[in-house]
Amino acid sequence: MKIKILRQTLPNTEPYWEGFDVDVNKDMTIAGVLDHINYNDDIIDDTGKKTSRIRWECSCLQGMCGSCAMVINGIPALACETMIRDLKGKEITIRPLQKFPVIYDLVVDRSIIYENLKKINMFIGEYIPVENKKPKKREKELEHQYEVAKCLKCGLCLEVCPNYVNGNNFFGALFANDCYLVSSRNQSKLTEIIQGYEEHFGKTCSKAFSCMDVCPMHIPTLASMAKMNRYY
Amino acid sequence: MREAIVTGGGISGLCCAVKLAEAGVRVKLIAPYPSERSQSVMAAGGINGVLSKPEQGDSVNCHIEDTLKGGNYLAGKEAVTGLCQQAEEIIKYLEKIGTVFTVDSEGSLVKRAFGGQSYKRTYFCGASTGKQIVSALVMEVRRFEVKGMIERHFWTFFHSALIRGEKCYGALVYNERTDKVEAIYADFLVMATGGQNSLFGKTTGSALCDGYAAGQLFLQGVELKNLEFIQYHPTTLETCQKRMLISEAVRGEGGRLFYVENGKRIYFMEEIYGPKGNLMTRDVVSREIDKIVKSGKEVFLDISFMGEKEIRHRIPEVSDLCMKYRGIDISRESIPVAPSVHFFMGGLAVHLNHETNIRNLFAVGECASIYHGANRLGGNSLLAAMYSGMVAAKEIESRDFEQETVDFSDTEAKANLGLKKMKDTKSQFPVMYIRDMLADTMGQNLGIVRNEEAMKKGLSDLDYYLSICDRLSFDSSVSMYTNYSLKAILTLAKATLLCALYRNESRGAHFRSDFPDIDDAFAFATIIANDEGQFKIRMDKEHSYEN
Ligand SMILES: Cc1cc2nc3c(=O)[nH]c(=O)nc-3n(C[C@H](O)[C@H](O)[C@H](O)COP(=O)(O)OP(=O)(O)OC[C@H]3O[C@@H](n4cnc5c(N)ncnc54)[C@H](O)[C@@H]3O)c2cc1C
Repeated sequence: MKIKILRQTLPNTEPYWEGFDVDVNKDMTIAGVLDHINYNDDIIDDTGKKTSRIRWECSCLQGMCGSCAMVINGIPALACETMIRDLKGKEITIRPLQKFPVIYDLVVDRSIIYENLKKINMFIGEYIPVENKKPKKREKELEHQYEVAKCLKCGLCLEVCPNYVNGNNFFGALFANDCYLVSSRNQSKLTEIIQGYEEHFGKTCSKAFSCMDVCPMHIPTLASMAKMNRYY
Repeated sequence: MREAIVTGGGISGLCCAVKLAEAGVRVKLIAPYPSERSQSVMAAGGINGVLSKPEQGDSVNCHIEDTLKGGNYLAGKEAVTGLCQQAEEIIKYLEKIGTVFTVDSEGSLVKRAFGGQSYKRTYFCGASTGKQIVSALVMEVRRFEVKGMIERHFWTFFHSALIRGEKCYGALVYNERTDKVEAIYADFLVMATGGQNSLFGKTTGSALCDGYAAGQLFLQGVELKNLEFIQYHPTTLETCQKRMLISEAVRGEGGRLFYVENGKRIYFMEEIYGPKGNLMTRDVVSREIDKIVKSGKEVFLDISFMGEKEIRHRIPEVSDLCMKYRGIDISRESIPVAPSVHFFMGGLAVHLNHETNIRNLFAVGECASIYHGANRLGGNSLLAAMYSGMVAAKEIESRDFEQETVDFSDTEAKANLGLKKMKDTKSQFPVMYIRDMLADTMGQNLGIVRNEEAMKKGLSDLDYYLSICDRLSFDSSVSMYTNYSLKAILTLAKATLLCALYRNESRGAHFRSDFPDIDDAFAFATIIANDEGQFKIRMDKEHSYEN
């Protein structure tokens, strides 16, 4: 199968497409394909030219760490979870996330995510949960907190979002979810967090909800938003 | 103000950084990637502790005894006692800072059974205990980042420690953004770099844990301990990209191991060890499975009797993983399993206060060797990651301020020159080729069952790789770090093989077919030291590290 990859040698050099002919089977993931290309003494592209190994970030290789976020056939996804059997067409295109600076090939710098969370004091500090007398409601709340705390900070929700540009002002779904997590676990921060939420999320989000489609953890961002809106 | 460097952003590094900052020590937290990428997020099963409402009959003493016994009495009693006594406080602390533990309808934490333990005492957060703990700790770290007490440095890799006269003054780090080595001076250096997975290529864990730091520190005179004890997780599933862990929770929930003979299921663990056989310690289960696999049969793990609903409720992650990567529906089918490298009981030798043999140099988490002896119990390493971070921080807090500056600018310049020279090297082997060969030779010659002949073969391979490693061509298609880390990784592999060869007995995770019995002469930790290029091994008969 033809695999086309948008490559870049250094942060300040021009990106270019390079093709590879790879023997794939339907049970392989894109991570498996990248490994397969790289696991050779000589890496040969589809013109027969010797080329360099493809650089990509990986850690857990099983959808738990968010390292390998990239854009596969136009859709932001984790390489280690994207199966060949689920992809359509005769060729696969892979490019780095566009909304973050490229370091090289498929590796991007996502530091801005953390810089933004720091800007609005996104931490729980003291545990003073919003009181919930009814056990059922309490249980639901905990369940939602659990879901939200699974966020990988992989940036897929930002990549797909029509409102997120470069993180200068609008901070995106992962931020909205953390706003919920912090305010539900520490009431005393409610006012501060709501302000940040409104400024960096609420007033700009156009509710496309594509973030929920691509989230590898299936975090129900809509529910976080509903809860935040109730806190207003 | 005192300053410390913490290298590694997994649970142990995060915990140590927070506790140091709380104590007024300023921290530089060094790790190439955010904590969300660390191996700690992969821990699914849980964290051990005996809390105020234990299972009937359980006690902290019982946790201590299980841990010591599981580790074949190689770990020091005092260390393990501290670990288990602190468990309740640690779990309460984690809850307080926002870790979402699984609770029952009354709001009490739920516990499950794990291998090698007399009672249920493993507390968990749904299917993602490690991840939930990391999420909570990352927020705590942020609290101190905002105050200026913790500074996170991404895209930086450990290069070496600044050591002079048996004392540590900070670290050299390689900054990928500037492509340069930089000296960072600090009063204390804490290593929290995780296990040495890459000696074996792909393991159940993270590709970021490569053992470089332990190998490099060994080259610089830091002693290593118990390297031969490598835990194979008995139940892993083959997929196209790695062998994935099938959590021990499956067996904790009643999962049964079997193979098929003459059309009949043989529940071999129950046959050999009785009704609790499936939950024997990992070393025992791995060896039994290995025997069957080597005889050409396949081993399966069955949990289908639990029913779809309960499976979705109790172990959804296992069900998802099997379906996603292999199309196996575990409520109908059994899971084909085999053992794979999972955890390293050995690592940097540390005293009870987590300091190494070099003053002001500490190690915490999986890269330190202290609590698990010859075999680790599931759920004890998250506990140890937290506990060790706290112990090291407390020790550092109690230290008198030794205001003393030593200039390492020559060392820094030399390191940069070294990298530059590396870029000019030429030969036929790229770095990645040797890394792959290393994994092959370690897998073949230092498996679950070992013998002298195979290990000697492994050693001769390693001696060859080490002999060419300085002359390897610079591999510009992998990072500078991957290039410069090779030598120390190979050195660590060699030290590991030497320790395994030295231990002429079978104990815990170390099983020798040529010495199948336990031997009292080896009832001590193995220490390996690098004496100006000579690798010297001794049994720690004086318990110089443990007690
Ligand atoms: C699949 C799986 C499941 C597990 N389940 C459980 C469980 O249920 N219960 C339990 O108790 N234990 C479990 N464990 C073990 C446990 O997860 C680990 O022992 C523990 O998380 C280790 O934490 P750590 O802080 O020591 O290191 P890690 O989390 O491995 O973090 C190491 C850090 O060091 C950094 N680093 C590495 N090298 C360098 C370098 N050269 N320079 C700078 N930084 C570096 C890494 O980037 C990373 O940030 C499991 C392990 C695996 C693999």
